Amino acid sequence: MEKLYKFLKYTFIILWTVFIVAPFLWAISTSFKDFQSVNSKVTYIPWLDFEPTLEGWRVLVKSPARGGVDIVEPYFNSLFVTCTASLISIVLGTLAAYALSRFTFKAGFVRNNDITFFFISQRIMPPIVLSIPFFIFLSTIGLLDSLIGLVVVYIVLLMPIAVWIMVDFFNRVPKELDETALIDGCNPYQAFYKVVLPNSIPGLIVAGMFCIIFGWIDFFFAFILTFTEVQLLPVKVVALNSSITPWWSLSASALISVAPLIIVAFVVERYLSKGNLSGALK
Amino acid sequence: MEYPMAKIELSNISHTYNPNDTNPTYALNPFSMTWENGKRYAILGPSGCGKTTMLNIVSGLVKPSKGKILFDENEVTDLITEERNIAQVFQFPVIYNTMTVYDNLAFPLRCRNFTDQKIEERVKSVSDTLRLSSFLNSPARKLTADQKQLISLGRGLVREDVAGVLMDEPLTVIDPDLKFRLRRNLKEINEQYKTTLVYVTHDQNEAMTFADNIIVMDQGEIVQVGLPKDLFEKPRTTFVGYFIGSPAMNLFRSEILSDNSIKFNNGTIKTKTDLSKIKDKNVKLGIRSEFITIATDQKENIVSVKVTRVEDFGNFKLITGKAGDLEIKSKVEREIPISTEELKLHLPAEKCCIYSNEMLVN
Repeated sequence: MEKLYKFLKYTFIILWTVFIVAPFLWAISTSFKDFQSVNSKVTYIPWLDFEPTLEGWRVLVKSPARGGVDIVEPYFNSLFVTCTASLISIVLGTLAAYALSRFTFKAGFVRNNDITFFFISQRIMPPIVLSIPFFIFLSTIGLLDSLIGLVVVYIVLLMPIAVWIMVDFFNRVPKELDETALIDGCNPYQAFYKVVLPNSIPGLIVAGMFCIIFGWIDFFFAFILTFTEVQLLPVKVVALNSSITPWWSLSASALISVAPLIIVAFVVERYLSKGNLSGALK
Repeated sequence: MEYPMAKIELSNISHTYNPNDTNPTYALNPFSMTWENGKRYAILGPSGCGKTTMLNIVSGLVKPSKGKILFDENEVTDLITEERNIAQVFQFPVIYNTMTVYDNLAFPLRCRNFTDQKIEERVKSVSDTLRLSSFLNSPARKLTADQKQLISLGRGLVREDVAGVLMDEPLTVIDPDLKFRLRRNLKEINEQYKTTLVYVTHDQNEAMTFADNIIVMDQGEIVQVGLPKDLFEKPRTTFVGYFIGSPAMNLFRSEILSDNSIKFNNGTIKTKTDLSKIKDKNVKLGIRSEFITIATDQKENIVSVKVTRVEDFGNFKLITGKAGDLEIKSKVEREIPISTEELKLHLPAEKCCIYSNEMLVN
């Protein structure tokens, strides 16, 4: 019985791993193929089945004038927009979350939970609902088709995530921790950044991870709010597709698009598995 | 060496958590109290009686609805916690997870800009007392629950200039053996440094062994303040009699018969209390089971009971008997042979407390 259980367990794990890893392997091998190797018969193994070439990768860094597509600039645009928006969202979101967790707000019938829900409700709405207001807003303040405009919009999208995660996190940090810091001689600000914040690093990392993922993968707003001046990576990758689909450079660009998230995942995994998520109490 | 510590005065303090309601419920009813410098106090009472609220008011975490708090004649009611120079230890260990044990203990001093040399000296002294010296460089989060509580305690004790150290059931998570040693340590620290210690507990033994003075609270009310002996022998209300002592004080409904005697079952019991001024004839008789003995040659205050249970506690026996409808408990030495059926018990007149309207008649 135990053996059977073990067998099933490992079978499942192996199948699941194949399911996850296979597309990556497929993309890696495709990115080194040329037109011939993709469009004739199915090929798998480099040097045996097909002759590997770097053409798919070269196209990505060549300027359009020399027949390339140049995703370097969109790549850095995406990095800039994602990181800036995530950072600002985390800073503002954390402050908002701390206030929502520790103080009682009252405005008419509005209470703390309502305010928290108001933040989250920004994510419940389908993005399409927000597209027209955002478009009009950015065109009014003259930030359409600009990096700063995208950062502003992404903050609106990412801050609810930060607030949501951090409110929950701070609620689990016992208020005795703040009180102890006050008793030990901190003023309320010092209590926050000397004691509560260092204790909340796991929460900050999780919130940061979600912000980066959601910022990085967004196609919809990047597509609607930019035209020619500024392009973000997801838009550029989609734009690669033309009458003849260049599977090799599409695969290569997919791989380098995923790369930052894989790095983030590895970094975060180390922090999460340390068990630091448990609170300061007990 | 001088320790600039303070007398803590609470003047007409009361507190409610819903001040805007038309009928606010008071967590603390108005009271005044003074905690002398360098003494040990225990606040004793059942859960939810306002003990913690009282501590939080003194430390400034809660602002009282009414009244004033003075440290050495200086009013601190409107000062925030940080400015009050008071230490508080909570029921569950609160540690700074991200710091080492040393940094945890040094934190209160660093916040107050002490010199590194002074900090090291104090941390060393406190960690020696609490036997944390060998852990100073380990991350605080790696320690066991009771060691963590020692850190919390240490952070309170490391500041020698505090007005007082308030402890809210600090030894709950600590195992009994260590508990005993720590209580003694706290007493030593108090004697050595003359730090005012205030200790909240619901465990009477803890309160009795620790404090010079015990403050008994019930439902937001201070019921009695006194020495352990007073609380035991002359409880001011039936609540104190019931709450303190194990088993609880024997309490019987009774009626006044004359100026110094009351009815008990079918007989009379004489007391040393002057009963002439009491209007209501219905009173209660309270007597500790420790003071009830098996009658030998006494003539008065004898009650004959039917023994229903005898429990051997090792160092004493607890007899439970019935006299009519009344159940009576008596603690006797274990060597004394006890007849299993009828027994005559003696209730010494000087140990009988009379309660009229649940308050002790003097």
